[in-house]
Amino acid sequence: MTEKSIPTEDEITQLTGHRFPGGNYTIAHWENFLLTECTGAALLPGGRVHPIALFHLPIVGAGTSIAEMFALGRAESNLSIAIESYDWEMFAPLREEIRYKVTGGITSAQRCENAEGQVYDRIQFCFEVHAPKETLAARTTITWHFTRNML
Amino acid sequence: MSFAVGDAAPEWVMAAVSAERMRTMAAILRDPNPLHWDRNAVDSLPLGLGKRAINQGPLGLSYMINMLHAWTGPDSVRRIVMRFPQVVLDGERVVARGEITLLREDNGVPLADCRIWLEHAERGILLEGTAAVILPL
Repeated sequence: MTEKSIPTEDEITQLTGHRFPGGNYTIAHWENFLLTECTGAALLPGGRVHPIALFHLPIVGAGTSIAEMFALGRAESNLSIAIESYDWEMFAPLREEIRYKVTGGITSAQRCENAEGQVYDRIQFCFEVHAPKETLAARTTITWHFTRNML
Repeated sequence: MSFAVGDAAPEWVMAAVSAERMRTMAAILRDPNPLHWDRNAVDSLPLGLGKRAINQGPLGLSYMINMLHAWTGPDSVRRIVMRFPQVVLDGERVVARGEITLLREDNGVPLADCRIWLEHAERGILLEGTAAVILPL
């Protein structure tokens, strides 16, 4: 297998503090309908959005994308990302057709080594979702491992 | 309705994880990872998974949320933390389960901390984590 070049440890740690542009996101009814159907559940009552939206709403609302997050961590390929954890805090139910304000960035980026001595980079992204009047509706933390030369 | 430490949440069953739903999710999420929509990409990895798409992490997590919603109501989930020790594959039957580990109050709101997990009959625990839910009065 050809060894791929990997970013330096400094290049990774310097990602800490990176901020996304921020922005807004509104979940339309059609989007909530399709998302909820994917989970196997019935649509929630009263225009509530299924919390599964807490994956892409913060990412897109903050003005970034899964592809850009992969690129920031210099992912070797789309196949080289492993999930460590998702942490979703919900302070108020999300609702359809409400314009949420989203901020987010990278809160931690570090080089690590697993038990087999293989290097990977652990990058943590954190987003906050505000309802109108600046009420904090949700906070999400995504922690991914950017594996290096493991595939 | 009364609750006690050790009480189990009613299980929630996904009878067959659907590759079609993964594709819908990938489109909505604009997720470029082919593991969720190209079975050949999964087959090409040195993981021995064969030609089966890998379920998106948030979809597996959503099965836990469905279990909690069915148990304590659609506004009950305060926090969910999920880890992903094994992948979930298309076609698999998986069961979301949970149990109360602590009962507490936050500003007068009754909460239950729970251990939650997603189980496969042969492969064991695929996802695991914790949740905090508001208890119905």
